[in-house]
Amino acid sequence: MAAAAETRMLFRNIDEPRLASIRTYKRLGGYRAVQKAFKEMAPEQVLKELDDSGLRGRGGAGFSMGKKASFLPRGDMDKYLCCNADESEPGAFKDRELMQKNPHQLIEGIIIAARAAGANRCFIFIRGEYDLQGDILDKAVEEAYDAGLLGSDVLGSGEQVELVVHRGAGAYICGEETALLDSLEGKRGNPRLKPPFPAVQGLYGGPTLINNVETLSNVPHIISSGAEWFKSFGTEESPGTKVVSVSGDVRRPGNYEVELGIQTRKLINGLAGGTVGRRKVKCFFPGGSSSPVLTGEEGLDLPYSFEAMAEAGSMLGSGSIIVCDERTSIVQLALRTARFYHHESCGKCTPCREGTNWTVKMLERMVRGEATPIDLDTVASVQTNIIGHCLCVLGDSMAAPVGSMVEKFRPEFEQALERGVPSLNDRGGAGRGAQRKGREAREEAGHLSMAGGR
Amino acid sequence: MSQPIRNAVTLVVDGREVVAPEGTMVVDAAKMGDIEIPVFCYEPKLGDPVGACRMCLVEIEGIPKLQTACSTPVRDGMVVYTQTDQVKQAQNAVVEFLLVNHPLDCPVCDKGGECPLQDIAMGWGPGKSRMTDPKRHFQKPLELSPLVAIDRERCILCYRCVRFSQEVAEDEQLQLHERGDRSFVGTFDDRPYIAPFHGNIIELCPVGALTTYTYRFRARPWDIEQAGSVCTLCPSQCNVAFTVRDERVMRVLARDNHAVDDGWLCDKGRFGFQMFASEERITEPMMRGGGGELSPVSWEQAIEAAAAGLRRAGASAAALAGGGTGNEEGYLAQRIMREALGSPNIDCSPNSPDPALLAELARPELGAKVADLDYAGAILVLGTDPLHEMPILDLRIRKAARRGGARLLVATERPNALDGGAVVDPVRFAPGESAAFISALAGALGAPGYEDGGSYAKQAAEIAAALSSVPDPVIVWGERLWRDQGAARALHDLARALEMHQRIGTGLLEVPEGANTRGLREAGMLPAGGPGLGPVAAGRDAAAIRDGLAGGEVGALLLLGADPVREYPGGGAWKQALSSSFVVSFALTEDESTAHANVVFPAESHAEKEGTVTHPDGRIQRVRPNVPHPRDVRPTWWALTEISRALGNPLTFGTAEDVFAALCAEVPFYGETAYEEIGGQGLRWQERDPGESWVPGRGGGGPGAAAYGADSAATRPPSESGSGPAYAPTAATPGPRSESEEARGSGLALGSYRDLWASEVTRRNPSLRFLMPTQRLELAAKDAKELGLEDGDPVTVSAGGVSVEARVSVKERMRPGAAFLIEGTESDNGNVLATGSPQRISVEKRAEPESNGSGNGNGRVKIVETPMPAEGAV
Repeated sequence: MAAAAETRMLFRNIDEPRLASIRTYKRLGGYRAVQKAFKEMAPEQVLKELDDSGLRGRGGAGFSMGKKASFLPRGDMDKYLCCNADESEPGAFKDRELMQKNPHQLIEGIIIAARAAGANRCFIFIRGEYDLQGDILDKAVEEAYDAGLLGSDVLGSGEQVELVVHRGAGAYICGEETALLDSLEGKRGNPRLKPPFPAVQGLYGGPTLINNVETLSNVPHIISSGAEWFKSFGTEESPGTKVVSVSGDVRRPGNYEVELGIQTRKLINGLAGGTVGRRKVKCFFPGGSSSPVLTGEEGLDLPYSFEAMAEAGSMLGSGSIIVCDERTSIVQLALRTARFYHHESCGKCTPCREGTNWTVKMLERMVRGEATPIDLDTVASVQTNIIGHCLCVLGDSMAAPVGSMVEKFRPEFEQALERGVPSLNDRGGAGRGAQRKGREAREEAGHLSMAGGR
Repeated sequence: MSQPIRNAVTLVVDGREVVAPEGTMVVDAAKMGDIEIPVFCYEPKLGDPVGACRMCLVEIEGIPKLQTACSTPVRDGMVVYTQTDQVKQAQNAVVEFLLVNHPLDCPVCDKGGECPLQDIAMGWGPGKSRMTDPKRHFQKPLELSPLVAIDRERCILCYRCVRFSQEVAEDEQLQLHERGDRSFVGTFDDRPYIAPFHGNIIELCPVGALTTYTYRFRARPWDIEQAGSVCTLCPSQCNVAFTVRDERVMRVLARDNHAVDDGWLCDKGRFGFQMFASEERITEPMMRGGGGELSPVSWEQAIEAAAAGLRRAGASAAALAGGGTGNEEGYLAQRIMREALGSPNIDCSPNSPDPALLAELARPELGAKVADLDYAGAILVLGTDPLHEMPILDLRIRKAARRGGARLLVATERPNALDGGAVVDPVRFAPGESAAFISALAGALGAPGYEDGGSYAKQAAEIAAALSSVPDPVIVWGERLWRDQGAARALHDLARALEMHQRIGTGLLEVPEGANTRGLREAGMLPAGGPGLGPVAAGRDAAAIRDGLAGGEVGALLLLGADPVREYPGGGAWKQALSSSFVVSFALTEDESTAHANVVFPAESHAEKEGTVTHPDGRIQRVRPNVPHPRDVRPTWWALTEISRALGNPLTFGTAEDVFAALCAEVPFYGETAYEEIGGQGLRWQERDPGESWVPGRGGGGPGAAAYGADSAATRPPSESGSGPAYAPTAATPGPRSESEEARGSGLALGSYRDLWASEVTRRNPSLRFLMPTQRLELAAKDAKELGLEDGDPVTVSAGGVSVEARVSVKERMRPGAAFLIEGTESDNGNVLATGSPQRISVEKRAEPESNGSGNGNGRVKIVETPMPAEGAV
């Protein structure tokens, strides 16, 4: 067991009482970066600093934040900034903690990023289920307005930055950036065709910068301490730290902020305490439920970075690790994953709409023991048929993990063809296990626990 | 914005070099190289591509992922592959996915045999199904509207119908409900989808999910034929294709013609075919016997009787044409009148245009064509509601505003369907006061002889600013403006002030009231205009014909598709006039005018007719016979030549084409247009021979000669006319500033409008009957309140001793002091009150018929008339 330690940047004062209030935040050094950005730096300098830092988007795609901001055209048109706080990926809960405990760090990041991008109208699109966090943000935004940090004259600079907290209505697809824009405009939350990219034609047809909560929370640190300092953390291609949500079969599930490039084993076995009873890690999702699974053998020794995970055929995504120990039925895991994406598919494009539906139907027959060997090939080929053919990445988000499960655990699926798989794992007895059984029974009856029922 | 110039780029598709204009999507460019890329959701008519169905994925060199060909514009040097293994796998996959939930009911599906899904599944699908699970189920079919059935199981969720509703018709009634594979198309709260263009979704649907009750289970694609013609139910003159089975029209489809209809049809044109084979059609000549009943007679008898009656009247005979009357028929009718009878009493509309001004406005350089709207910088809708008068133009204007970025301006007397898109507050002038507004507009634009002022000064200045801020405004104006003294002249002068005659892509487009009014005018159906709008001895216009009939100075009337009792102002007076005169009528079905006719000839429908019509923008289009004439219906042009022969004026025409050739010989600007030249897409005479074509008809000197001096601009080629105003406004004032004091009086100023559905067509087509409006009185909220009336209240509307019953309809954006009735309703026709001159009405509340008599005690409550609001109070 290697010794593991967190590297706290965004979480620096995370356990400070009343950090969510502007007073505490300021007392601990908050809102100094925004002073610097507005009083000592030109917008171009702010943008350059962000670009130089190499900060990569923390929402899933890992695209360079500075580059994205630099894609926005210069000029006098109305420009927008949207903070994507629709954290809906199963396994991800880092943004929730960041918003709940340190909302001002995010707001400061938004104000600075708005300056860099030339945006004067900003939105935080927060998922409807984050009710508490929405309230906290509302209050924090009000405090920031009162402090003159937001409004028509930010810090007396004459610049205007307006910020509105908008609550979503509970659709996973609205976390996709263009669907988020449609939803924000009051339309049905469906992804748009790209190009045009939001940086060129986004919200209300204007240039729009869209960033994740964690990405924007990094911004004040980069501005106050500089790009070079920021790059001293992490790896060359993945600079900085990452708040990683670890969940599943671990003893201490939770958010851990680590330097990118840390050995994955240190995260799972060290910080998160490893599996209960030191059971073998059968597989884990390295970046939320949409990332292809890695087996314990292939994944635990990899450095936890964007490039290493991509090289291993998976992705870092939003940085959410879901650990499954040796008891887990992969067939049930595949079904559960597929059901989530089937339920959340918006229905706009054919492969995702029909592929998720078909996959669920086949996997359901598999767990019931009613499938044929042909079905297994069909499941695999349907995943291949979805990948790369959809309008947005939601279809791929099911096909990639399910496809990886079929590929890596084929014998388990073959076994299921004969006997079926009654439950997610073989945990029996009282307590938590019984609870799980009850929940699975409801699922079998058609309830989808992940989406909060229907 | 003006029409963009698009350079050609060269790309390679499957090894074939293809040249396509910049901005073309790969899927369209491939077509130019004879390579088909399958699509479902892509339909350029609906606007920007959405890339939803994923059927058109192709490989493009340099891009690792497959791209949707429908949304990828071509680039120079692009290399596209549509046949590689990777592409084929994607195509197979998408077809397979589409069929996951699509029922295998092709043998009983109306779309079977003409179904894109079938075709694409055969051409690009895997050919074998791996799907063994149950498909999704919906209740089916459901009534989406009284005309359209929806089968949600067959729907492949391509979004076309929803996009049509939201982005083309902009009625926003269709929505996608639910999500994922549970998505379905529907309306809010399952309300019926009632909208004037909703039939288009049937044609857009690439599967059998949307079918119409008028065609379901009536024919299969292998026993039908498609034949092209032109719909002559309104001035839009949309290009249609009739689906014919066993010599009967079963269906009407759009025949895309970008220059005319953009590929859309209104429901009137689409469903107005049932009357062709209706039992109610007049299918043989009839004469009124001694008992007052019409009874069938032979063609010979009818022709003899008609000729005898007309001969008796001689030079006092008159003719009126309307409806779908073609150019040849109009031409022959005016020859009968002018040559055989020596009568100049000829008209084709109730609006009496000034002949010299009409010729000026017909000049090629002042006219806009329909396609100009697409690139117009601003569009002014003036005194017309295209939705009711020329429906397809409504869609075209919406498209221009939505996609072309045109600034939409509206100035009308009645609230307009396009008000919502107007960038400046819509102008509401009082009924009959269009001249005051247009003169103010001409003044604001600096037209010589007009004052910049008056009660509409402020609004006129706003509209003028918007019009003059772009190089290419188009003004769409209603024929009815001819009724207001000075309005058309002011319009002409302001068009000159805007220098419309010196620029391309800008101009005026008149929305006539009749389907072929422009063609009839140019064929010589005018009281003071012969073929080619040439000057002739002036005769009586429609109103004078009516008065002449009533007074006995006009001895006989020939009606060609016109129903003045129902359609013209002063319906009551027309009824009286006809009942005491000798009337010959060519009509499709019995109407309110045939009820007074002595001889009735069966008319041809536009599915049977051979001939030409002229679109309001000057496009000559061919109407072609698609089905045989029912029973003893014969060509109208033939019947007219026979009548002429019986009158001692033999016209030797063997075919409709011969008649057209004779017409062209007399209309210089039609030149020697040959039938073949017109083709399937029509031919705008203005474009045929630019610069040379504008020479008015026989008589020389030009139509303007008499009225506007010998040096009439009308005879000069257009290239020279730019040197100065074609004609200066005469000394007369540019039109009345407002109504005269005596007409002002008290009470509400009555206006009237033609509702799209208030017509014989609605009545004669069972599927459309539910749309027939009943009379309603439109009032501004302020006036309704003062009269103590609420929406839906029954009222009696009276003026000049005549009254109709109506229900109150309180409308937004109404000008206070104005009230509107519908013309052409089955009962309580508004045209008995709206006589064409300004009218004041009194409104009296009636007791609710039968039920809930409690409302007002003993019923009739006299409502005190309200005085006219002060000018500028709008």
